[in-house]
Amino acid sequence: MSEKTRLGKIEIAPTAIASLASQAVLKSYGVVGMTARGLAQVLRRDAHRGVEVRLEGDEIIIDLYVVLEYGTRISTVAQNIMSNVKFSVEKALGVPVSQVNVHVQALRVSSHE
Amino acid sequence: MAQEKQTKDNRPENPIRKHETNLPILSCDGQGLKRLLAAGLAWLERHSEAINALNVFPVPDGDTGTNMLLTLQSAYAEIADSPQDAVGEIAQAASYGALMGARGNSGVILSQILRGFARSLEKKQTFNASELAAALTEASATAYKGVIKPVEGTILTVIREVADAAVSAAGDSDDLRYVLEIVTHRAREAVAHTPALLPVLREAGVVDAGGQGLFIILEGMNRYIQGESIAEAAALTQAVDLRLAAPEEGYGYDVQFIVTGQNLDVDEIRANIARMGESTLVVGDANTVKVHVHTPEPGDPLNYGAKLGSLSRVIVENLQEQYRDFILGRVQPAVPEKPCPIAIVAVASGAGLMRVMESLGACAVVPGGQSMNPSTEELLNAIENTGAEEVILLPNNSNVILAAQQAQVLSKKKVKVVPTKTIPQGISALLAFNYQADLETNAKGMERAAGEIQTGEITIASRDVQINGLDIKEGQIIGLVNGELITSAQTIEEATRQVLQQMHAEDGEILTIYYGESVTAEEAEALAEMIGDLYPDLEVEIVNGGQPHYPYILSIE
Repeated sequence: MSEKTRLGKIEIAPTAIASLASQAVLKSYGVVGMTARGLAQVLRRDAHRGVEVRLEGDEIIIDLYVVLEYGTRISTVAQNIMSNVKFSVEKALGVPVSQVNVHVQALRVSSHE
Repeated sequence: MAQEKQTKDNRPENPIRKHETNLPILSCDGQGLKRLLAAGLAWLERHSEAINALNVFPVPDGDTGTNMLLTLQSAYAEIADSPQDAVGEIAQAASYGALMGARGNSGVILSQILRGFARSLEKKQTFNASELAAALTEASATAYKGVIKPVEGTILTVIREVADAAVSAAGDSDDLRYVLEIVTHRAREAVAHTPALLPVLREAGVVDAGGQGLFIILEGMNRYIQGESIAEAAALTQAVDLRLAAPEEGYGYDVQFIVTGQNLDVDEIRANIARMGESTLVVGDANTVKVHVHTPEPGDPLNYGAKLGSLSRVIVENLQEQYRDFILGRVQPAVPEKPCPIAIVAVASGAGLMRVMESLGACAVVPGGQSMNPSTEELLNAIENTGAEEVILLPNNSNVILAAQQAQVLSKKKVKVVPTKTIPQGISALLAFNYQADLETNAKGMERAAGEIQTGEITIASRDVQINGLDIKEGQIIGLVNGELITSAQTIEEATRQVLQQMHAEDGEILTIYYGESVTAEEAEALAEMIGDLYPDLEVEIVNGGQPHYPYILSIE
């Protein structure tokens, strides 16, 4: 993603956006982990496991692969993640995020239940 | 030896020396927990709007209070009709309700808190002070488990501090009242401390909204257990019998203060205060004592306290008034369920009209109208403060349309002004709003709807004027139809008759009377009766608009 100014251009790499998203996810309530999607991503050396950022034209699309706490309302937690990520990425970059997709990969049962 | 000495001391041997209503509460069963939650819910209902206004973290969308309220309502709905006595069962059911109804970040956290709380009370019939502390500790632990990077300065911090306070308070006393009082205090302190922990709060100059919500719930429970506001809890469960729940006569004032002194004898103070009224609560140590009592003679406890030391944080409130405010507060409309993608900002003056606008879905109501036009900046602020990217603005007065159009140009958001000239037009426009349609379609539909309504206004001429062939003297009653001056008269009734004629009231179906601040409900009813006699086919509705300047605003559809 890039933006031209009079002095030059600003380019933001997908991995930078992924860092922002990843921070927001880890602070989202109900998220207890992130996972790589499938073996391919595990093998790739990826600092942002569980976050995929795609740029399609001007659109930013973020896919998140998360593990949630068992016993929370999954749909609400997922919605919260979407709005947290959208808000913090947009706040930092000043450009709209067009999609945040949350893929719940697993649930963690953390206590005797 | 020490024991012997103590019994020989002048301490009374009978441990029950307190006023009857101040007996310690040693345990709480399922129905007790239900009533506590009801009180917490009632208190939250009353404060949810204020909590919304605090919301800046994690996403400043101003819905924390609403989300917590909906979550707790869902929790309470599961237990409202339950006759269960076992506290474990009630807690479990409430936890399930909260889980199913969890809304937003704070709602999910609240549901986790209740889940931990319920797990700790599993299979228990009742809980005592130490079991309550254990349950709150488990609630805190469960809440923290749900996030990888807990952010301090939020509801999480508050529940942790609350659990700590409960553990230490339960070590000092078996009295649940005492424990809840201490817990509530600590919650308040923890909330006040949140800006120090979370920079985004400090920048916005607010405390954490979720933390405040939790504090409010605890405060409601505490008030209930201290016997302060049974009205709230009762009002919730028996809305029909509201009057019965009014505080007993004779205990007219709620008096609270803190005494600072030396060698204060808490027990003695408690015994003396208890003689002065009901719902006594006296806690503290040799240097600081907090006193709370309901009494018909607020001077007595204050005089007594002043003899003991210096007084601070003195609060004297009229209980009847509190109760009345509470009832009025409950009449307020429910908050809209979701922040809509398109927000509506409306202009209105008068508490009643503002409430009508809000209840019909206006996200923000800017106070203003005739002779007190809101500035472009005020409108702009209201637009920017809505969570939505697209905003429809209803000026509701011909003099405000220009400012509204300026705000439209200045705003970074997509704004549409629907040029409503009167309050009824605005209301009609609000009713035409369609959540599923886009901004353009809505703006068109609302403008059309506004055009279909006839507005009559009865007011008083503010100066001498000649207009539309009418010669009007200051102080005369004048009537307007759709913003046009059409008549002047000596009496309101006469002006109303003329206005209705001009509006072709005989063709209408429903006539709504919004009566202003200068008019009593009886006067409005008398006018409605007169109109009913003139136009028997019209259905007449009366709304307390509370607007200034206009004794009556009439709309016909």
